[in-house]
Amino acid sequence: MAAWLVRRLAASIAIVLAVVTITFFVVHLAHGDPCGGGEQRPLPEEMCRRLRARFGYDQPVYVQYAKYLVALLHGDLGESLGLHRPVADALADAIPNTFTLALAALVIDFALGLALGIYQAVRERSVVDIALGNAALFVNSMPVFWLGLVVLLVFAQRLHWFPVGGLGDPVLCPSVASLPCQLDFLWHLALPALTLGLVGAAGTARYQRAAMLEVIGQDYVRTARAKGLPERRVLLVHALRNALLPFITLIGLTFPFLLTGAVLVETVFAWPGMGRLAVNAILQRDYPVVTGAALVASGMVVLGSLIADVLYGVADPRIRVRDA
Amino acid sequence: MNVENWLALGGAAVLALLVVAELRRRAVTSAAGRRFFRHPTAAPGVFALAFFVTVAVAAPVVAPYPPYYQIARRENLRPSPQHVLGTDPYGRDVLSRLVYGARISLGIGALGMAVAVTVGAIVGGVAGYFRGWVDTALMRLVDVGLAMPRIFVLLMAVALTEHISLWVLVLLIGLTGWFGTSRLVRAEVLSLREREFAAAARAMGAGAGRVIFRHVLPNAAAPIIVSAALGIGSVMLLEAGLSFLGMGVPSPVPSWGNMIADGWIKMAVAPWAATFPGLAISLVVMALNAVGDALRDALDPRKEAV
Amino acid sequence: MALACVMLLGACQRRPSCIGEYCGTLVIAAAGEPDVLLSPISDRSITRDVTDQLFLKLADLGLSGNTIGDEDFQPQLAERWEWDAPTTLVFHLDPRARWQDGQPVTAADVAFTYDAYTDTIVGSPFRSSLRQIAAVTTRDSLTVVFRFRQRYPEMFYDAVYHMRIMPSHLLREVPRPQWSSTAFGRAPVGDGPYRFVAWKAGESLELAADSTFFLGRPHIRRVIWRFTPDQTVAVTQLIAGDADAIEVLVAPDNVQRACATPRLACYPYKGAQYGYLGFNLAAPGDTTKPHPLFGDRDLRRALVMAVDRERLLRTVWGDFAKVPPGPLSQLWWIWDPEIRELPYDSAQAARLLTRLGWIDTDGDGVRDKDGHPLAFRVLVPTTSAIRRQYARLLQEQYRTMGVDVQLDEVDFSLFNERSRAGRFDALINVWTTDPTPSSGFPQTWTGGGRSNYGHYDNPDVDQLVDRAVVSAGNRDQARRAWRSATETLNRDAPAVFLFATENVAAADKRVEDVRIRPDSWLALLRTWRIPVDRQTDRDRVER
Repeated sequence: MAAWLVRRLAASIAIVLAVVTITFFVVHLAHGDPCGGGEQRPLPEEMCRRLRARFGYDQPVYVQYAKYLVALLHGDLGESLGLHRPVADALADAIPNTFTLALAALVIDFALGLALGIYQAVRERSVVDIALGNAALFVNSMPVFWLGLVVLLVFAQRLHWFPVGGLGDPVLCPSVASLPCQLDFLWHLALPALTLGLVGAAGTARYQRAAMLEVIGQDYVRTARAKGLPERRVLLVHALRNALLPFITLIGLTFPFLLTGAVLVETVFAWPGMGRLAVNAILQRDYPVVTGAALVASGMVVLGSLIADVLYGVADPRIRVRDA
Repeated sequence: MNVENWLALGGAAVLALLVVAELRRRAVTSAAGRRFFRHPTAAPGVFALAFFVTVAVAAPVVAPYPPYYQIARRENLRPSPQHVLGTDPYGRDVLSRLVYGARISLGIGALGMAVAVTVGAIVGGVAGYFRGWVDTALMRLVDVGLAMPRIFVLLMAVALTEHISLWVLVLLIGLTGWFGTSRLVRAEVLSLREREFAAAARAMGAGAGRVIFRHVLPNAAAPIIVSAALGIGSVMLLEAGLSFLGMGVPSPVPSWGNMIADGWIKMAVAPWAATFPGLAISLVVMALNAVGDALRDALDPRKEAV
Repeated sequence: MALACVMLLGACQRRPSCIGEYCGTLVIAAAGEPDVLLSPISDRSITRDVTDQLFLKLADLGLSGNTIGDEDFQPQLAERWEWDAPTTLVFHLDPRARWQDGQPVTAADVAFTYDAYTDTIVGSPFRSSLRQIAAVTTRDSLTVVFRFRQRYPEMFYDAVYHMRIMPSHLLREVPRPQWSSTAFGRAPVGDGPYRFVAWKAGESLELAADSTFFLGRPHIRRVIWRFTPDQTVAVTQLIAGDADAIEVLVAPDNVQRACATPRLACYPYKGAQYGYLGFNLAAPGDTTKPHPLFGDRDLRRALVMAVDRERLLRTVWGDFAKVPPGPLSQLWWIWDPEIRELPYDSAQAARLLTRLGWIDTDGDGVRDKDGHPLAFRVLVPTTSAIRRQYARLLQEQYRTMGVDVQLDEVDFSLFNERSRAGRFDALINVWTTDPTPSSGFPQTWTGGGRSNYGHYDNPDVDQLVDRAVVSAGNRDQARRAWRSATETLNRDAPAVFLFATENVAAADKRVEDVRIRPDSWLALLRTWRIPVDRQTDRDRVER
């Protein structure tokens, strides 16, 4: 197990490194030197000389890359061209916000999704099952940012039940220390998390229903039923435990979904997270931030599949052998 | 909206119904076909798709106005008999743009997916057939590709180019979407290449390309088709997201995604301009998912015995 | 209901403790965020709003907005000034002025500030506005001397308006190339009515009143900006009660919604912006060659006459802007609807295009000549909803004329980069103007001007502008020179002048004495107040 984990970890790091490398070279080759372009360059010459000296813009790309890697080892991601601050600082501000949003969405996603999926499986082919199934399919098919817009329009702008955006009330809660301010934060979190969570939950429910139905048809469940165990016990203990196995795969799949969704949902709800930071950086060609964001994003995706693999290994020992 | 537009819309619905009926009639002859239509959402799904495709093809007849036409002093009108789905902030008829936008949105979905499936099938086929270092190299590439959220990659690609044409956009969408398919195909090919028919073809002296594309891949068609059906939907959602961020289909060409983006600025006074295209996307993606699910059930050989 | 609950809890926990006249919290909804709080570097209007509260100028513009001479200026850091010679201006600093870390504000700070603003490494966007100042020297710790290159009507304005004095003792040690990323720029120490409290990136920025401010204690105690990615969200926050004030409501539907909200009061004021579709007269990326299309004056004239600017204005702005008679903002004293310009005449435009040889020979709906279609690309920033709207409207108007327009919608920073580098056919640009045309107009529309992105160059215009700025003996002569400069420019049709804004700000009705100086809406913020009887718990709560 330990050897497997080490190998798996090394592979993960290699993947992240590859993503960073590709991003680094693509953006540098495509954009080149912000002081390039001869007479038409956007910055004055004196400023460019300093920039080159400071950030090494005058050196060949591979030298810059080597410099970047060395700095990376020291936790230095360079300096943003547009934000006037170190990339690491900007990321450190944004990551917790995205993480909170993603976690809240994940809880809604899995809690609601599992409950719905199991409920539907138990009531298979009933009117409720079909209605819920169609509803879930519909929600799962919505563009997540569009759902966000609609939710924002209805619950924030029309009904005033929730705030329009942002992390919290800056007047009463300049920081999230006290209990009321934590509530205020949750209240601000509700709409974006629900938007992201609902779309995810609809997918999870469909997945879980299918997994549950598959298991219910299996021999050991029939056996358990034949033995005369109570239906509730059959379903929740025997069937569910086995139906949860494929669910673990879903954890790995959910991370990229949440990241993608966060990009758009954060824009809709003015949520200062990774997604907004990355999108703005890409649009503004703020390459140090783009590369830093690529590092974090791919790190999160890889981490997600790693967690899924480990959980799988724990839940089903046969997998380890095969995967190794 | 005139009588002929209503007639055209009705005609599209009738045609879609006919398509469903015809498919059902033919499906009876095969087990897979019967399984397909046994799926409760299959028929409505096919109907919705056929309807939207017909409307897209017949756009000039269905749309009451040209899609670019900005009618003076008719900005942000609520839905009325004249403008059934209202007008947008530029005084353009939302229904007309929706109808023409179907061409773009469905087209991008289908073409983008076609590119992705082609590349994915080739890469997966090659990796699975040759195994060894080719396989390792390609699959590590896929690992890297899957490690970046696709929307980031696309945004980066679009932002790096000075201006982007529709075709390049489609190509980019396709080229960032093949990773999953290639994994799927590789797994199929790995198991298929050992089967008798592939071995026989090799023994007859067929080259690698011939074995992969003539013998192995056709037998791996089922999972490819299913993933393609589901993938079209995700491409459409992606296009919408890109357009929303201002990096998608360029104006004035209507796509459902940039219709949402155009309507969003007046969401408070004219919500219909952004709501209807969003509904249209949801409906089509839902139909695609339904059909994809039904296809999976129909093409799954394990269900044969049941 | 949830709001009440949370607010109640908040109120219970944080005992509202501020009592009296000097309480009050003002939350400002802002569509944008400062890049860095360092006035010499940032020319964003949101940075201007924040630094207006943090840093003082030597003297400031009066409510009259008169920029000629020195009579209408109000003392700030300088308690008085005199002219030693026609080109020598002496300021006497107010001895009470203090930096918020306790150090006195000295003449050395002023000299240091001038040096920084004119340093090419700092690269200040205001550098060219200071070009007439030859030197700034200190006579003693409270006396500073400005020497000018020549005498002209707005010398005093140039000396005081562009520079906010910086603390030399805190910035002297920072290497100039690193100014834009120094920690000071994210947590500045100023000498103004407010001091810096906190800045949460992408979220909010808070200032607190300096109760010892030497020109008078500000009435409102806490000022908080809430940053949103766009204008619509900002207005929505205002209407929902998440914010108390906004600089401009921009679109007519926003004005209507906000002004119909009982809690809000609306404050119209003169707009400082004008927007236009500018043609690049030089080939994109190569300024030595003329643009293949826009090098032709007649073609440009046809393209100007083809646009129904009034109709576009109605669609985008409703009643809250005017079609400008040239590159003018309504704030400028030279604004004059009588200035002659090319009329809207699509028939005439079509005839002119045909005469120039642009005819649709292949029936694809686009005019062509020698096998080239009449097609060009327009550079538009995605961040501006107004400009994106105009882009779509223009695209359609030109399409009906047989002109194919494609849009390059790019982020604002990229828009700036490309326009500066001349890499565009045409662009939709907006200038936020100074209170006077004397530096903005030549910068943008004379040969060699720093922001003359379209490379429009007519020596007649240059000469007229020079006469207006420097040698005009009185206001009437200057006005006539400005008018003929504008009319000459209009005849050359370097751009389609689309709109000049009229602003409407909104603020919560509990805020009194809301006075807005049109060139900088928060310049007088320290005199705004929330009377005791209108204060709510939010006004009294301590941070």
